[in-house]
Amino acid sequence: MTESEKKIKVTRKTRPKIGVYVCHCGINIAGVVDVYALKDYALTLPDVVLAREYKFMCSDNGQNLIKEDIEAGLINRVVVAACSPRMHEPTFRLVCKEAGLNQFLFEQANIREHATWVNMNDTEGAYQIAQDHIRMAVAKARTLLPLEVQKVSVEPSCLIIGGGIAGMNSAIDLAKEGYKVYLVERTPTIGGHMAQLDKTFPTMDCSACIITPRMVDVAREKNIELLTYSEVVDVAGYVGNFEVTIMKKPHYVDQEACTGCGACVEPCPVSVGNEFELGLAPRKAIYIPFPQAVPGEYTIDMESCIQCGICARPDVCEPDAIRYDDKPEYLKVKVGTIIIATGWDPYDPTPLKQYGYGRYPNVITAFQMERLLSSYGPVLGKPVRPSDLKAPHSIAFLQCVGSRYFREGGNKYCSRVCCMYATKQARQYKEKHPESEVYIFYIDIRAFGRGYEEFYESASENYGINYIRGRIGEVWEDKDHNIVIRAEDTLIQTPIELTVDLFILSIGLEAVADADKISSLLSVQRSEDGFFMEAHPKLRPVDTLTDGIFIAGVAQGPKDIPDTVAQAKGAASSAAALMAQGEVEIEPYYAVVLDHLCSGCRTCQSLCPFGAIDFDEFKKIAVVNSALCKGCGTCVSACPSGAMVQNHFTNIQLDSIINIAVKQPTVKNGQ
Amino acid sequence: MVNKVSEQKDWRYAFFLGCVIPNRYPMIERSIRDVFEELGAELLDMPGASCCPAPGVFRGFHIPTWFVIAARNIAIAEDLGVSLITGCNGCYGTLRDAWWDLEHNSEEKKHVNKLLAKVGKKYTGNFEPKHVMQALYLDMGKEYVRGFIKHKFKDLKVAVHYGCHIVKPSDKRPWDGEYENPTFLDEIVELTGATSIDYKEKFMCCGAGGAVRTAVKEVAADFTREKLVNMREAGADIIINCCPFCHLQLDLGQVEVNNFYKDIIGEPFHIPVIYITQLLGVAMGMDPSRLGLVKNHNLKGVSPFIPIQPFLDIVKEQLI
Amino acid sequence: MSENIEKYIKRKVYNGTSSKIAQKFVDAGLEKLRSCINCGTCTASCPSGRRTAFRTRSALRRALAGDESVLSDIDIWLCSTCYYCYERCPRDIPVTDMIIKLRNIAVEEGYILDNHFTLAKDIFYKTGHGVPANGENNKKWRDLRESYGLPALPPTVHSYPEAVKECQFLMDEVGFKALLDNAKKLKDERMLAEEKKENEKDGK
Repeated sequence: MTESEKKIKVTRKTRPKIGVYVCHCGINIAGVVDVYALKDYALTLPDVVLAREYKFMCSDNGQNLIKEDIEAGLINRVVVAACSPRMHEPTFRLVCKEAGLNQFLFEQANIREHATWVNMNDTEGAYQIAQDHIRMAVAKARTLLPLEVQKVSVEPSCLIIGGGIAGMNSAIDLAKEGYKVYLVERTPTIGGHMAQLDKTFPTMDCSACIITPRMVDVAREKNIELLTYSEVVDVAGYVGNFEVTIMKKPHYVDQEACTGCGACVEPCPVSVGNEFELGLAPRKAIYIPFPQAVPGEYTIDMESCIQCGICARPDVCEPDAIRYDDKPEYLKVKVGTIIIATGWDPYDPTPLKQYGYGRYPNVITAFQMERLLSSYGPVLGKPVRPSDLKAPHSIAFLQCVGSRYFREGGNKYCSRVCCMYATKQARQYKEKHPESEVYIFYIDIRAFGRGYEEFYESASENYGINYIRGRIGEVWEDKDHNIVIRAEDTLIQTPIELTVDLFILSIGLEAVADADKISSLLSVQRSEDGFFMEAHPKLRPVDTLTDGIFIAGVAQGPKDIPDTVAQAKGAASSAAALMAQGEVEIEPYYAVVLDHLCSGCRTCQSLCPFGAIDFDEFKKIAVVNSALCKGCGTCVSACPSGAMVQNHFTNIQLDSIINIAVKQPTVKNGQ
Repeated sequence: MVNKVSEQKDWRYAFFLGCVIPNRYPMIERSIRDVFEELGAELLDMPGASCCPAPGVFRGFHIPTWFVIAARNIAIAEDLGVSLITGCNGCYGTLRDAWWDLEHNSEEKKHVNKLLAKVGKKYTGNFEPKHVMQALYLDMGKEYVRGFIKHKFKDLKVAVHYGCHIVKPSDKRPWDGEYENPTFLDEIVELTGATSIDYKEKFMCCGAGGAVRTAVKEVAADFTREKLVNMREAGADIIINCCPFCHLQLDLGQVEVNNFYKDIIGEPFHIPVIYITQLLGVAMGMDPSRLGLVKNHNLKGVSPFIPIQPFLDIVKEQLI
Repeated sequence: MSENIEKYIKRKVYNGTSSKIAQKFVDAGLEKLRSCINCGTCTASCPSGRRTAFRTRSALRRALAGDESVLSDIDIWLCSTCYYCYERCPRDIPVTDMIIKLRNIAVEEGYILDNHFTLAKDIFYKTGHGVPANGENNKKWRDLRESYGLPALPPTVHSYPEAVKECQFLMDEVGFKALLDNAKKLKDERMLAEEKKENEKDGK
């Protein structure tokens, strides 16, 4: 459809000529109410000059009905009585626009979700409600005035929060497309959790081997400004124009001067738990997270540092890079889009006391096992058990720890990767110790991805891993710190009591601990499971409901590496699509100050949750920043002088709906 | 959670006796009455109270009967204007669960009150049913009780047995959801100077409850056998419990284990079984005769079935 | 020939999972039964299961599947209601309550052990106590009470005969007596049918 040359001029003085279109929506509406009667009813309403009904108004034919009536000059307001505006409001608005009618002279009456779908067995009731909705929509349509969308420019730059595999992939794609990227990572190195993994399923690629080239790419990419050991502390603005404040945490080591030689580590007298090694090994107060870290410079953990001064000695740090007086630096940048790629935290199984984590030394998490298997981990890839540092002859894994758990202290969802990572770790251990016995206690084995089922089959056939279908009830340790397991082999209905040397909990993935902070910082929502919420679970998996902000990777929900990378690329593509357009349309539902009524009390300014109201010191009145305004209506209701008006939801418009809803009695079906 | 607890600043409780305490182990009743008196609490009798009714058997037979008889018992205490306490895990399981369920199900509560009205009784749910351990540990508190300890054991190894219904279902109990590793009974035991030893499967069921003992004695006895083996292996001098049915199962049951399972247990067991208030009482300097520890009769075939003399000897030796 | 048929031909094939038993659970507000994924945590935690033939998970599964033998087998009466399954079920099913409900349904169908029946009818219903101290047989217990300075009979239903009547009235009203009478009837019918079958076999 092409846009009509002839634009229909409508002002406050123009007499409204309303066209009402009642949609059958197949049997969704027509199967419950008499749509012909509704059409006739619409014609009885004042200012309605024509009414039609059609099977599917959203179809090309349906849309054409409206287009033709507008182009013929018959109508200057359109009401479609159909589904929820969330479905097709944009569709019908576009029809109006292309036919030459301002798209905001359109109103949709929801007679499906709000009438027929919720009253499927009560045709009379549904009909009355449908009439009410049409009557209200017509009343509003009568009062509608033309509005113009705002176009705002979009900064061709993107802020990516999180430097793991998702963040890095988005960054590289966007950088290659020519956009400037700020990649903010709060630990001293990029790489994320993937750097802690040993091998990856099902290909058994070494994780570090596939990720380090990416890390190097990120460091080398000119368009990427890499900000490690930094955090986003403030985000203001709106789509295309976000104003972000980033805090660069003090390394206490001059990152330019530091050569990464590591001479400072040995003489440092302070040892603390190593987060990268998940408590299995220590690190010094001055440290680098792992050998292949990018950037490769050192950081001092000032909370543990005792400022003894040894590392600052010239015979220790030759480049003289130590700076005890380092301070945080704040950087303000303007970006057009933001991608949240904050990843996950492992589930802490301590509350599940029946599994003994934290109480019995030979109970560890699979994540810790990953470090034991890693060639640059605390045991250089030769796993041993904590109590006696001997290689275990028998190992048991328990699946679904903290996942698929409908009680307090766990998560209801399935973490999606644990069946595969347990199979992988089991296989790795069997490769190193073919004589060992490895058991995996499971409820279901979820091997859904490409190559996964084959991997699982091979684990049984070729590696002799024992899969036992039965979730472990409790464990305890014997006097040699072996772990005694109680489970039921549900497939033969027999209780099992099994003693193993090492017990591994396949823990699930959770949203990061400060997800709520990120949520409020960026005004994005989280779902019930704690992960960030996508705009639509099927059709918009990398968008959020906040324009310009996208999500990728496990930040959006547990997933494996292939899906994470796919989403990262998807988020980059969505962000690029926005930035490539150079400008974006914002709906004109913003608030407007009636200058002559404003008393300058600033109540509105103090209440605005989006900081969209400024105060003009000269004129002593409030001023609304229409781009920042999200049309929430708070200021409108609060203004004591009635000086605030909201586009498309003016008092007159709202009053007309309310009055018509309550005053006119409803008409019976058929009348 | 509905928690309409009566303000018991002066610790007045209605004493719900149940069946096993008054009718098979009256020494436990004696020790509870006297220890609570020493601690400054008043125990009121509940005239006409019946079986709670027992959760494994009677709730298993007919849940509606269980509800109405339990509510009737609670109503007797409510009539006295106080919370009831019981020294039995089974009665606690019934009375507390019934209270909880009725407070969360207004339909059932209405129905039960309709029946109770026919006998002139009313259940309001305003007084939470409590266990003796709840009164000691939560109402009075460890520090308060510690103030009454006059003598301490020097070397007494106690196998503490909690039983099941005092901590589970944990959502209906006052222990903050703790059921895998509670410590309140160990803490009260250790106030007396005794050591609560760790033993394998410390929190395992004794086997009596849930209608098992009344169904097949040998099955219940096998649970008990396992517990006794573990307690003996850990070097227990005595067993302490807070439930008369567990007490019975560990005491009379110990004799049954020695009989049924003599081929696999090696030496017969003879570990004295003592109720918590009996232990507490001796440490509080009370005369053992006030605690049901002294035999004043020549009756045959009555409790205790495992001689408690070894315990009395330790009391004589270690407590002045 | 017929011996082998009896020994080897079982034909135990059930016809799906919309079971009468499961419906009773739903009607009683215990529809949580249906969210069981058979993970086995309950059986794994069961102190009875590792010494008897009771399998917690199987009992629930048989109830859902409509295998009525779960009502007549003794297994569900060998649960000591320790509540570990209830606490640990990852689907948050109140498992112990399910076993109790199964017991209720079993008793409705007349499946109750003789000991339990006697306990219910001749002891609990009659005296108001599950473990009584009245009557000639229990004199030693009353003497034991007195030896500890307690009154021979406690201030329970034992000392208030009208309280016993009250309990009995309530038990009649709530249907307990009728339940027991019906259970006895069904038990007797089954016993007669068994005897008849045995006699016919011997007769052959």
